[in-house]
Amino acid sequence: MSRPVGWTAALLACLAFFAALVGLPFWWVLTGSVKLPQEIIARVPTMIPHSFTLQHYQKLFSASDYPVYLVNSLIVAAVSTMFTLLLALPAAYAFFRLRFPGRALFYRTILLAYAFPSIVVLIPLFGLFAKVGLVDRLPALILVNVAFALPFAIWMLRSFLAGIPKEIEEAALMDGASLLAILRHVMIPLIAPGIASVGIYAFISAWTEYVFASVLILSDAKRTLPVGFSGIIGQYQIDWGLLLAGASVAIIPVVALFALIGRGFVSGLTEGAVK
Amino acid sequence: MPQSPALAFAFVAPALLFLAAILGWPLVQALALSMQDVRVIGSPGAFVGTANYERILAAPEFWRAAGLSVVWVVANAVLQTALALSAALVLAEKFPGVRVARTWIIITWIVPTVVVVVIWRWLFSTSGGIINPLLVQSGLIERPVGFFATPWTAMATLIFINSWRWFPFIALMILAGLLRIPGDLYEAARIDGAGTWSRFRYVTWPLLAPTLSVLAVIGTLLSFNVFDVIWLLTAGGPAGGSRTLPVLIYETAFKGYRLSEAATISVLATVFLMVFAVIATRTLEKGEAR
Amino acid sequence: MRTMLKAALAGATLLTPASAGVAQEKIELKLWHMEQPPHRVQRVQELIDAFNAANPDIVVTQEPQNWGEVYAKAPAAISAGQGPDLLFAIPDFTPILKDIGALTSVQDFVEELDAKHDFVDSAVDAYSYDGGVWAVPLYNMAMNLWYRKSVFQEAGIEVPTTWDEWKAAAEKLSADGVHGIGLPANKQLYTDQTVYSFMVNGGATEIYNEDGTLRFNNPETVASYKFYADMHKLSPADSTSWTWGEAEACFSSRSCAMVLQFSVIATYDSQAEGDANDLGVAAIPHAEGQEGHHTISYANAVMLLSKHEAKLQAAKKFVSFLLEPENYGRFLNMEPGLFMPVTADGAKAESFWSDPMVQKYRSQVETVIKNAENGRLFGFTSGRTFPSIAAISAQNIIAETLQNIVVNGQSAEEAVAAGQARMEDVAR
Repeated sequence: MSRPVGWTAALLACLAFFAALVGLPFWWVLTGSVKLPQEIIARVPTMIPHSFTLQHYQKLFSASDYPVYLVNSLIVAAVSTMFTLLLALPAAYAFFRLRFPGRALFYRTILLAYAFPSIVVLIPLFGLFAKVGLVDRLPALILVNVAFALPFAIWMLRSFLAGIPKEIEEAALMDGASLLAILRHVMIPLIAPGIASVGIYAFISAWTEYVFASVLILSDAKRTLPVGFSGIIGQYQIDWGLLLAGASVAIIPVVALFALIGRGFVSGLTEGAVK
Repeated sequence: MPQSPALAFAFVAPALLFLAAILGWPLVQALALSMQDVRVIGSPGAFVGTANYERILAAPEFWRAAGLSVVWVVANAVLQTALALSAALVLAEKFPGVRVARTWIIITWIVPTVVVVVIWRWLFSTSGGIINPLLVQSGLIERPVGFFATPWTAMATLIFINSWRWFPFIALMILAGLLRIPGDLYEAARIDGAGTWSRFRYVTWPLLAPTLSVLAVIGTLLSFNVFDVIWLLTAGGPAGGSRTLPVLIYETAFKGYRLSEAATISVLATVFLMVFAVIATRTLEKGEAR
Repeated sequence: MRTMLKAALAGATLLTPASAGVAQEKIELKLWHMEQPPHRVQRVQELIDAFNAANPDIVVTQEPQNWGEVYAKAPAAISAGQGPDLLFAIPDFTPILKDIGALTSVQDFVEELDAKHDFVDSAVDAYSYDGGVWAVPLYNMAMNLWYRKSVFQEAGIEVPTTWDEWKAAAEKLSADGVHGIGLPANKQLYTDQTVYSFMVNGGATEIYNEDGTLRFNNPETVASYKFYADMHKLSPADSTSWTWGEAEACFSSRSCAMVLQFSVIATYDSQAEGDANDLGVAAIPHAEGQEGHHTISYANAVMLLSKHEAKLQAAKKFVSFLLEPENYGRFLNMEPGLFMPVTADGAKAESFWSDPMVQKYRSQVETVIKNAENGRLFGFTSGRTFPSIAAISAQNIIAETLQNIVVNGQSAEEAVAAGQARMEDVAR
């Protein structure tokens, strides 16, 4: 494969631009978190740290419940992902393949779930959860996160299903397989990358959710990472070192997770394709 | 395919019932709330009919916020799509490390919003932030500027930050569309003597347009709802310059203690969005049918 | 053993539905406060542990909250029956909870404590209206002018006492990328506080007339805003988005020569040079023709929310415990130099003055306490307290008025008139 020199140069320039746009902020945060306080707020910032200290991390872990927040976030995100997939898969298949009255109407209504400001439901939902004793409990967050990820998940899964050649399904049907069997043994394996992508989408949206977690959770022991993180932003002082250390710690777990399954996510997305 | 509607309902019902309970029911409650005069959550209210609607529709703050929401949504869509499309075009090329690049570009999206907020607040700040000194050194500005200091720079900065967070995700969606375009189409165009630009204009663009329009609709709805980034960075300021509708709703409910008026604004915003969504999906479906 | 017991109890609370009002042997108290930085939480925990150990029949637990969210969360949690038994407050937060019927007057309790410890009167005043006292004062915060003595010396500047001197000093100090003064102009509580600090020193202390009508729009207010906007021109460009932290960072990094702040001691000590002899603190200068220096002071307090008699008694026990001189200093020093005593015996308490940070910055702390004596709080002055102050304060209309001048370019007269109109609107 050969490209004109000018083209290669342009490509390189673009790559450098995007690498800087995405990478440099993270570089400054990670390096900032090991600088001494004086260097962090110095009037002329440094690109490469001139000092090295772990004091901010020590402070972070000695004085706040970061590990607890981390575990809570992982629980909420993982369980939300599972439920999103459990609800979205059959629904997506039904909307894609099965005939039933009101199909088009229901499908549209589901997508309209994004057509209102989510803050709207915050107060009534609080009341609802209060009645059933879910306030200040992680399941409340799971329910909310599933509700917000579900419509997009159904929509994405449906388009992944649409990418499967009809002949495969028909062949299975000719063999006398039941609908459930087709779904389980034919369709699901075929769209596995798509499921991975939707799963990651659900995971990340639960992982990053802030507003509902901040209001529905009352006690420190049940806070998620975003809310716990916002808690170390003091009211009267900003300890940038502590904040940058907190930011780094909040970044690292997802990065680790992503290092394991990120490739699957991307190939799932790019191969399954959106229609 | 032969099958009973009962089975289909069994497939769809759990998801539908779930959404009805967690989103639908509260929405109905918000509608009821909008016709009362509740101030603080937990306090009683009386039925006031459409009084709240009359007040809100006459309030300049509401229309200003609605206008800012439109600016927010449109600017985000333009900037995100521009960044995402160019990133996707780069990532569709073959070069060493392309897989790594495709995987890790998404990092801006997997970081919690609160963390994104802190990162950029620090980078943009005038004490310790790196952006001002860089701009001063490169001679673009003379003195450090306050990015959140004036209404329009604050809005622009917020739009940049939100787009920064979302563009890689959209880039990957576009990339998916790009990779599906068969290579022989480009080959044929090349043989016909088409240059880089005309190949993009006549091959890539038409085939990509459906993906882009679907993303545009969903993206519009999603970015309209963005609240945390704005609230945590500027709280709608300065001087209301970034007070979009979701911010106004939150402010009215929790700072102004007019819960019912907040519900009213929500209902009105929902109506706008629904109208947009219905028109947009209709247009899309027509486009697909053609 | 205690940790095991605590863990077991924590486990038990997890399992018990909150609504179950089963008779328990131990009285459990939930404390919400907004002192969220880790080291403050830690200090509060130490005091709670000591209290729980001394009172085996009571178990206090703390849940730190965020000021930004608690306004939404507390009413919601209370209406859901999940509210705390003790909730920290600032004066403008209390009317909201009083309005939804969550509070009962603690007048007798405050009088009892007053007889014992002698409260600073203004601290009690901020919670006394509508025939009751609605919270127990716990600590005070007052704004001061912070500077570096060496910087003043180099520039040949005396500590300013009037606005003219202050402005001259700020202008002289603005050189070489240093801002003479760092003043916020954000629509946020910090700006409310600094603007009001100008107003009280410019003869515009009262924002209500005696009959509850607003008198915000008057020549003294306009003059105070004018002067503030003038001084603000010397502040960094991003000060329209400042909260307390940015101002402190600006001072610590020597980018701002002067700031108005409750206290900069903690950050100055940890993030700047930490030279106690060089850190200057003074009362806020006043307008020409005004007498004496005033400041904004915020008496923080604790509200007792439990309707359950046994819990209420236990909560009172805990509050009494905090105000005991031998504990009180340790409580205040959760953030040394920021929280000032609201009781006479607290101001003398050994536990307060023996803290190493307080010892190091003793002269500054003494000045801060002295300045706080002339503290006022908008909407809580001269007994003219009306419920609408909650909305006026929550929507930061004082700060919004300033933004209309420095961001939108309105004249001070226009902006103050519009500010009064806004106040009247939210008061409806």
